[in-house]
Amino acid sequence: MSSFDLDGRRIPIEPGDTLAAAAFRSGVRTFTRSIKSHRRRGLYCLTGDCANCLVTVDGVPGERACVTPAHDGMRIRRETGWPSVERDVLSVTDHLHWAMPVGFYYKVFARPRWLWPLAERVIRRATGTGRLPVRGAPAGRARARSARCDVLVIGGGVAGLAAAATAAAARSRVIVVDEGEPGHALPPGGARTIAASLEAEARAAGAEMLTHHTAIGIYEGASVPLVGPDGLVEVEAGRVIVATGALEAHGVFPGNDLPGIWLSRGAVRLATEHGIAPCARAIVLDDGTGDGAAEALRGVGVDVIEVRGTIVSANGGRRLTGVTVDTPEGRRSFACDGLVLSLGLSPRDTLVRMAADDPVTVAGDAATPGCSIEDAVEDGRRAGRGEPVVAREPDPWPGLGSGGFVCPCEDVGVDELEAAWREGWTNSEIVKRYTTATMGPCQGALCSRHLAAFAAAKGAPSAAGGRTTARPPVRAPRLADLVGGVHEVIDRRTALHGRHVAAGARMDRSGVWLRPGTYGDVAAEIRAVRERVGIMDVSTLGRFEVRGPDARALLDEVLTLDVGRVAPGRTRYLLALDEAGYVMDDGLLAALEDGGYLLTTTSGGADRMETWLRDRVDRRGYRAHVLPRTGELGAINVAGPHARELLGALSDDDLSRDAIPYPGHATITVAGVPCRAVSVGFVGELSFELHHPRSRSGDLWDALLEAGRAWDVLPHGLDALDVLRLEKGHIFLGQDTLPDDHPGKLGLGWAVAMDKPAFVGRASLERMVALPLERRLVGLRFDGSPQRGAPLAVDGRIVGRVTSCTVSAALEEGIGLGWIRAVDGAFPPVLASGDLRATVGPTPFYDPEGVRLRA
Amino acid sequence: MPELRRTDLRVVTCLASADALDRLVAPGHGARALRLAPDESAFVTAPETAPEVRREVADRVAALEDDAVVRDVGDGWAAWRLTGADARDALAWVSALPPPPPGAWIQGDVARVGAKVLGEDDGLTILVPAYWDDHLRTRLIADAGAIEVTP
Repeated sequence: MSSFDLDGRRIPIEPGDTLAAAAFRSGVRTFTRSIKSHRRRGLYCLTGDCANCLVTVDGVPGERACVTPAHDGMRIRRETGWPSVERDVLSVTDHLHWAMPVGFYYKVFARPRWLWPLAERVIRRATGTGRLPVRGAPAGRARARSARCDVLVIGGGVAGLAAAATAAAARSRVIVVDEGEPGHALPPGGARTIAASLEAEARAAGAEMLTHHTAIGIYEGASVPLVGPDGLVEVEAGRVIVATGALEAHGVFPGNDLPGIWLSRGAVRLATEHGIAPCARAIVLDDGTGDGAAEALRGVGVDVIEVRGTIVSANGGRRLTGVTVDTPEGRRSFACDGLVLSLGLSPRDTLVRMAADDPVTVAGDAATPGCSIEDAVEDGRRAGRGEPVVAREPDPWPGLGSGGFVCPCEDVGVDELEAAWREGWTNSEIVKRYTTATMGPCQGALCSRHLAAFAAAKGAPSAAGGRTTARPPVRAPRLADLVGGVHEVIDRRTALHGRHVAAGARMDRSGVWLRPGTYGDVAAEIRAVRERVGIMDVSTLGRFEVRGPDARALLDEVLTLDVGRVAPGRTRYLLALDEAGYVMDDGLLAALEDGGYLLTTTSGGADRMETWLRDRVDRRGYRAHVLPRTGELGAINVAGPHARELLGALSDDDLSRDAIPYPGHATITVAGVPCRAVSVGFVGELSFELHHPRSRSGDLWDALLEAGRAWDVLPHGLDALDVLRLEKGHIFLGQDTLPDDHPGKLGLGWAVAMDKPAFVGRASLERMVALPLERRLVGLRFDGSPQRGAPLAVDGRIVGRVTSCTVSAALEEGIGLGWIRAVDGAFPPVLASGDLRATVGPTPFYDPEGVRLRA
Repeated sequence: MPELRRTDLRVVTCLASADALDRLVAPGHGARALRLAPDESAFVTAPETAPEVRREVADRVAALEDDAVVRDVGDGWAAWRLTGADARDALAWVSALPPPPPGAWIQGDVARVGAKVLGEDDGLTILVPAYWDDHLRTRLIADAGAIEVTP
């Protein structure tokens, strides 16, 4: 027999069991302890409305045991009580209730101020419901997706399904959302048969059923977030039909939270669906809305006494032992272990109250609590057709007794409400905040109407004494579900992604792209570039074509170089500054033969550069066109002493230094693929970036690998690139830079044409370069193996840090880049990095004359 | 079940002043004209007609403005066709955009990335930047219940 583990105890599972049903059958009566007084709480509603059965399921806290299907092997933990729910030492607080009046925290911890942080830690440990999992592997990321429909029906009961069938038959796109399966919340019998028929009708008409999803709010639009097993679904609905049914009134009288007291539908469900007797002897108070509780309980062998009257009190300690009732015949006491209450119905209207001006229709029990099945069907049909549904005011709410808990979630009793009112908190919204009534896990499902009735009885104006504001979420969602869409990273992939994966590359996230980190042997990849030839997929580089009569003026304004000095066929390093004069991005500018320009940027800076360029065009009215080509063009960098020979094996074009000078570019054809070959120097070897149509990337890559076998070519990834560029002393923007770096701090003053009359950031830069440098990026040589991020110190005083470093095989020493601050007006030439000696030296470390890249 | 097919389309983009694009006569060859922005139009066409479409657009816009830019940027786009009776409903599981009627189009988020959706007689064509090709395919199958059909 399948079973689950409850606090180390094996609980057998019968078919169709919920966690609560299985545990109850095995004798579990206390499911939680109350938040403040640590009173025992047992099963109560069995409809998911109250918070009496919240448990931790397989590490996820706050799950409702009464609506969670039981599965073999689950690990269930009851969440409250110390050391356990059954034996809770903290239940002593129940006897100290007199010492903790309403507003206790505000009054006691106002002075001295230092006391509250200490008290808060103690209180937080003693209260709460469940613990967030902070150890072990993090829960998987939740997803978020969108959906759109003409009609969203919330609630798969009789009215909801009738509405869905009618709307779908009228060719509307309909989605039905239900916390379980359609019809699951209905009592067994005729209602379920009708619901099954309506479900079939709705499905046949094209309505889609989104089961096991919960609508947690209604936002303007109407936009309705649904939480389901896979995460969040954001539904944009033309109109919303709320058919969430009604819930039973929570009775307020002394002892009203004792285990053994049931809302009628809960007891009936336990008896009829699970065949479990909720108790041996039950007192049943049924106003006619209790789904035939007495008969159902007798069916499972319960000794039932039906009583009419008003409950005076429920008695007992660990659980219910008896009740006292004012009956028409007088006050009577009954010994019993069960009290089953049908005190009236209230619309489950929290969602409706969130929808101020949105197109929302309420149908069925949610509009008219206790309506007949026929009326529910008719309501649903009318709502499905888009006709108004006449809602009936709910029955008068049962009054508050002389004591007991109004808000069981927050342990707020009648006394607390009275005390708050006496202290001057005289409307329901303020009483709510002062007492925290309605603010617990059930979000006021049981008590918000009681609170409104209390305020009204006190004579509060209707606006102030009415229901408190309903806000999402109706049900507590997982935090992961809420952030699923916010933190979803949708990676961009180059056309060669499949080839990289097939070659065994470790794919790393680099900005918004997935890129190969290494194909397995970083050292071999580096050697290939330094000694023979290597290739790298650089399709992620940002690329823009800029054209038009004002193209040069636009680029002269955005870039620091003098664009006029870049002759057609030549390439120049570019820097773009922001208006504060700080470095925003770098790349290359290629002047095209026909007067246009091709701009390349860093992979991560492309989107910002596009915005920057377009903004300038708009603001200044330049006659220039900016054509983004990042997604359209692939790019492969071919680098190494044999790079030219490799290209020569695949091209009939002139590849000489005169044809493709450094730095320069030319249009060539490689392996039949048209390419713009840009001679670059980032890795410090003879290199050609081959920008080509993305659809031909695979052909070009394969051809280079095949032809490159003569030189033992290897593809390389970001890990190798990091070393190669560092040996050349090139910076990685973001890794080696800080947000407030101007070119002077980075040693890039040579890339700024200060003789240009204007460019973005010029005025700020002019002011900054006139000041003495307090911090600068320098090249470092280490007498050992350096560590990235390590502090750099002089005489024990930290004056900088290492931003990039490696032990260079080519140079046979540790090298790096790092920030240092001036000490007594001068930059120290030697620093300590842990146990290593770091000597400031010039860059490039490798081939400082640039002979190799001009080969 | 909607059927999902990769489709080979070309996109010819035209960058010109708003005034020139307002007056530009759209090319023939069955190309769909999409006015993406005041200064940008795109023409979606079959690969075999793309050169003609590009030439026609270039010639016509040149008569209106001498510095317009016309390029076939089809390599930058991935296109998927959703067909079948449920195709239009399927879009609703990946986007809040209403499915455009045949001949119309709309742009916005589809599967949380920027996309253009073209209404067709038998379904929809969805265009996304090529670097999101696999993402769109995966989401259309996983979230919209589409069945991929490969030729």
